[in-house]
Amino acid sequence: MGFDVEEKVSPFVEDFMAEVQARNPAEPEFHQAVFEVAQSVGIVLERHPEYRAARILERMVEAERVIMFRVPWLDDRGEIHVNRGFRIEMNSALGPYKGGLRFHPSVNLGILKFLAFEQVFKNSLTTLPMGGGKGGSDFDPKGKSNNEIMRFCQAFMAELFRHIGADTDVPAGDIGVGGREIGFLFGMYKKLRNEFTGVLTGKGLNWGGSLIRPEATGYGAVYFASEMLATRGKSLDGKTCLVSGSGNVAQYTVEKILDLGGKVVTLSDSTGFVYDDSGIDREKLTWLMELKNVRRGRIAEYAEQFKEATYTSLEDGADHNPLWDIKADCAFPSATQNEINAKDAANLLRNGVYVVAEGSNMPTTPAGVSRFVDAGILYGPGKAANAGGVATSGLEMSQNSMRMTWSREEVDEKLHGIMHRIHQTCVETADRFGTPGNYVNGANIGGFLKVADAMMDQGVV
Amino acid sequence: MHEDFHQLERRRIRDILLVSSLFDFYLFEEEGLLYEQIQSEYHGFQLSHTPELTRISSGAEALELLDRGERFDLIITTLHIDDMTPPRLAREIRAKNRKIPIVLLAYDKRELSDLITHHGVADFDGVFIWQGDFRLLIAIIKNLEDELNVADDTSRFGVQVILVNEDSVRYASFFLPLLYSEVMSHSQSLMSEGLNPAHRALRMRARPKILLSSTWEKAMGYLEQYEHSVIGVITDAGFTRGGVHDSRAGIAFTRQVKQRFWDIPILVQSTNPTLVGEAQAAGAMFLAKGSPTFRDDVGSFLRDYFGFGDFVFRARDGTEVGRAKDLKSLEEQLRVVPDESLLHHGSRNDFSNWFKARTEFQLAERLRPRKVSDYDSVAELREDIIRQLREHRSLRQRGMLTVFSSTTFDPASSFARTGGGSVGGKARGLAFLNTLLSMENLRTRFDGLDIEVPAGLVIGTDVFDQFLRDNDLRSFALSASTDEEIMHRFIAAERFPQETVDRLRELRELIREPLAVRSSSLLEDTQFHPFAGIYQTYMIPNSSLEELLTAIKRVYASTFYRAARDYIKVTSLRVEDEKMAVIVQRMVGAPRGQRFYPEISGVARSYNFYPAGPQKPEDGIAAVALGLGKTIVEGGATVRFCPKYPDHMQQFLRDTQRTFYALEMGRIGPIGRIGPMSPIGPISIEDERIVPFDLKTAEDDNTLHWVASTYSAENDALYDGISRAGTRVVTFAPILRHRLIPLAEALDELCRIGTHGIGTPVEIEFAVDLSGESKRLGLLQMRPLVLSREMDELNLSDIPAERLICQSDQVLGHGVIRDLRDIVVVGVDTFQRSRSHDAAREVAKLNSRLLDERRGYLLIGPGRWGSLDPLLGIPVKWDQICGARTIVEAGFRDLSIDPSQGSHFFQNLTAFQIGYFSVSPRVRNSFVDWDWLAAQRAIHETQLVRHIRLEEGVTVKMNGRERRGVILKANDER
Repeated sequence: MGFDVEEKVSPFVEDFMAEVQARNPAEPEFHQAVFEVAQSVGIVLERHPEYRAARILERMVEAERVIMFRVPWLDDRGEIHVNRGFRIEMNSALGPYKGGLRFHPSVNLGILKFLAFEQVFKNSLTTLPMGGGKGGSDFDPKGKSNNEIMRFCQAFMAELFRHIGADTDVPAGDIGVGGREIGFLFGMYKKLRNEFTGVLTGKGLNWGGSLIRPEATGYGAVYFASEMLATRGKSLDGKTCLVSGSGNVAQYTVEKILDLGGKVVTLSDSTGFVYDDSGIDREKLTWLMELKNVRRGRIAEYAEQFKEATYTSLEDGADHNPLWDIKADCAFPSATQNEINAKDAANLLRNGVYVVAEGSNMPTTPAGVSRFVDAGILYGPGKAANAGGVATSGLEMSQNSMRMTWSREEVDEKLHGIMHRIHQTCVETADRFGTPGNYVNGANIGGFLKVADAMMDQGVV
Repeated sequence: MHEDFHQLERRRIRDILLVSSLFDFYLFEEEGLLYEQIQSEYHGFQLSHTPELTRISSGAEALELLDRGERFDLIITTLHIDDMTPPRLAREIRAKNRKIPIVLLAYDKRELSDLITHHGVADFDGVFIWQGDFRLLIAIIKNLEDELNVADDTSRFGVQVILVNEDSVRYASFFLPLLYSEVMSHSQSLMSEGLNPAHRALRMRARPKILLSSTWEKAMGYLEQYEHSVIGVITDAGFTRGGVHDSRAGIAFTRQVKQRFWDIPILVQSTNPTLVGEAQAAGAMFLAKGSPTFRDDVGSFLRDYFGFGDFVFRARDGTEVGRAKDLKSLEEQLRVVPDESLLHHGSRNDFSNWFKARTEFQLAERLRPRKVSDYDSVAELREDIIRQLREHRSLRQRGMLTVFSSTTFDPASSFARTGGGSVGGKARGLAFLNTLLSMENLRTRFDGLDIEVPAGLVIGTDVFDQFLRDNDLRSFALSASTDEEIMHRFIAAERFPQETVDRLRELRELIREPLAVRSSSLLEDTQFHPFAGIYQTYMIPNSSLEELLTAIKRVYASTFYRAARDYIKVTSLRVEDEKMAVIVQRMVGAPRGQRFYPEISGVARSYNFYPAGPQKPEDGIAAVALGLGKTIVEGGATVRFCPKYPDHMQQFLRDTQRTFYALEMGRIGPIGRIGPMSPIGPISIEDERIVPFDLKTAEDDNTLHWVASTYSAENDALYDGISRAGTRVVTFAPILRHRLIPLAEALDELCRIGTHGIGTPVEIEFAVDLSGESKRLGLLQMRPLVLSREMDELNLSDIPAERLICQSDQVLGHGVIRDLRDIVVVGVDTFQRSRSHDAAREVAKLNSRLLDERRGYLLIGPGRWGSLDPLLGIPVKWDQICGARTIVEAGFRDLSIDPSQGSHFFQNLTAFQIGYFSVSPRVRNSFVDWDWLAAQRAIHETQLVRHIRLEEGVTVKMNGRERRGVILKANDER
């Protein structure tokens, strides 16, 4: 299992990676994740030998605790199945372990360690008191009956319950674990512990869940953009914005842009995009939400409904997306991975776009990112700009601990504050390490530093 | 004299063991007509000693019966028996008792040749192909009896012999019944020429024996043995001689006969008309096989050279005192025949035997144990038989196709026919289902869900013929260039057979709900040609008689549409042979405002090509949708579930049903005009009244709660039912998970019973009406699901990838398809989803061209072929790609799409034994070598579609059992 290290790396990282690979054989995803972090914080370790002396990175890559357990369950016909359950308690320097549970046949130790490792820094960046972890099982929910799902969740929790707790480890959902599964897991935990605490997030609204979850990512991305603009003494007011996608993230991105006085001229789905020069106002947004959430129609219908808009269907083989070739100030990619390539990035720059806030995960290809960074525009990478989603998990924990339920406005306000602090962390860190305005570096290093400093403070534990 | 003729035909086939599935058996009884026909044709001359038929479904039962010492004179086995192949059964029977003749009756030549190739049929005494003519059964029996009795009867009574030489199983199966029926009907006509009763009887029994030979050697043997008794010879021009096919053996045989007796009439038949001279030179008459006047010609040939005629009530001395040709006339006769005769037949169990031969087993079984001595008086005996008979007749009519009568038609449940001719495949399937429902007591077995075949009237194919004739449409229809032209002329045709119009008027008095007008063609739904979705179906609000007639005319017109003609082209059938029966059926559903639709439409298959989790292929699969079945037929978004595991649903949001179809009641459809020709407004081929609506409409109609769940973005959870706010998703959870109605159980049982009944897996179309107090599951169609026989294994491993164009572990089909030189490719990189309609058109054009050139081709493209959603694949209809021999569904690079399993699509794939490869990142070991394809020269190329023609053809190899397949870049002769 060779690990391909082609980029120029420091001898320290090289040795370090050799050690990681030797100690964690056959876990390529984990190796990759560690390598990326090691690369991006190389500059920190260079400048601050105290972290190296404290062997911070070496400690970070070793999970605080790994729990693997047997999950036996009965299917509807009474046959016994055995799955493997995991919980990786990666790092609790900043707070209780926090991270999703994944039920999927591809789940194994290596993948969960990789996800848990990344989660540590994601959570850190939100500035909330959350450590990092991840768990799950190789159970495949596909094709299972409701009762089988319930029995599996109960069997899973029958072991997991002794390792988690509102102040220890607070799992959330992930692939294969949605509201239904969280409900079953929570029910079993409550029964076994005889306590109602916020041990899981992603709960139903009527029993401990938080408001603003569907809105959080979109709102957060807009708050982040607005913070970035503020560094140049500007605001979203009167700015023309390109938004891609038409799902939750895109819809609430549009809503918040409208709140802040901006003008949105595009939306898209997998078939194509609409361009509405007169702007997508609240009334049109309401119509669109009905189209997408209730009727689940195609975006093309927007152009049929509102004659001032034009619809352009997506050319499958095209080398660029014409949505990004429209004159504007801000761009909010909110659809899918890799939706902005180098050419799209160039088009955006040519059209005067100087703010890009990523609402979706990894929407920009590495080549596209380089263009933005090189051009020195306000580019908010996903790990910072879309941290609003993770943040609301933290807010759910807070509400549970306080035995309080915040109103929509209160949660929104807290979200705004969190996005402000994330932005601040990015800016300050980027400045400190000599790349002012580089939010990519700011986010990568900022997340790491908070964890590292907390570990230093807490001694060798 | 009496003594003498009782000695005739001494050796008879009395007890026949029929090993067959219930459906195979049902086919013998097609439409209930077998019964009358046997009476007039078999009993007319047979008098008594009718054969008894014991039917069982499995080889094991057969062997057990033989082990118990049951005596049978003949064993007939069909291709579909529950537990073993027919050859194995024959081998095992041979091992027990070598003397019983065993005859194999196949339905399909292809199935049969499979069997012959893989198993051999050496253990059979005869192999025949069932082509829907019940007389074949009689011919088989008679032919065996003739063989048994010929030596005695010729030497002792001077009975004459007809020699028939024919080595084609298919042709012999067609010809033999024809010949027997001709011989018998001529016997009958001679009978009525005023001879005394004894003479008549003699004539009947002394009809000529027919001796069938498939080889020269056998034929010569017969000739040697019976040369003095031969009154005529009918020979194929070519048949087997010395182990090889001799195309002129018939001519040589003619010479042999003529050398001995110059006056023996000989008929040479051949598919090769150039032999006419040679045949005539040898002294024979010649008849071209397949000539349109063939039947008449054979008839007149026989009439000129041979000559010869129900339950005959007799007095003890043999005098005829009454005659019945069917159950009805039997009942009439029973009232009037003298006591003496009644006692005579009663004491000999003649009634029971007579019923048995008509397969009226229940009646026979009821009568059989009763002895004449059990009755106090003859009057009591008479009354009891009549009562039993009448009860039985009324029982038999339930679940059978009775002739429509407005007085007896029950608008809730009757399924009747009007007009002569066949009722077609679909109606036959429905009638069989109706029978099964009664037999298995299924109608009310499930609490809260009644099962029914909706009331309907079938218009026989004779009406179609008459309509074409009266309006002079046939030759026009065969030569018309566009479908629209055909449709307009048909709608405008004014003469509709009056009797049918009267029946339809009466039907409309009885059924006031909307009607479905469906095709039920002669060729449709025969076992191996499903014709699924080829002909049109129209739904009408039932607002006027004219509207109904127009819909029927439109179904008639669809017989001649391009799609149907293209489809027939790839079968071995001919458009000219096609005839259309029409089913006019009460629509399942309920009115909601201006819409009429059922809550659920669906299709259930007893065999699942893609089982998942704990499911086995035999557990079946069902697909259901809200509203009319158009969604399913066209491969739209449906909910799939296994009837055994209805609870195993996936949580999904994408690709669920967003619109549903309903019949729009208010809209006025096109109506043909009575009176002078007048232009008809713009109408399309499709049923224009079937209109899509969104889910909101269903929610307002109060139908959505049966089938929907609600997605809450707030909670990231899908909740069953629609009590909460959120996005409505059609999941069928309320029914499948919460069992609001026992749909899954009912479907599971229907699949089981259907499979058992037909002997092969089945596909059942249905609709569910949940509007009333009692919920109703209406069955709309049942047809055999065609699966390829997977008898031998193909080893596909060890072929290096560089020799392959394509490989997949998700393959349907079995066997090797060689020498495909044409490849039609829609490239995965050049394809644009937004232009998939254009791609469909281009593929269709190529298909049409390749079809005309009779070149099978390999079709490769991204996404679902035949998808209704142009974003998921290329939205072709079946007839637009029907010339493809193998189809590859390659995944998109960016979208993961489940392989197509549109119901009609798969029926057709399997029916035509077309290979199907699914290639996607989700399918193990699957790939397409796009680079290789791109490097091949195209003889036709557009932006979207390439037509490659290769010097050396490619080879497709599929292992059906492992579902693996490869396509090799070159012909592979290993």
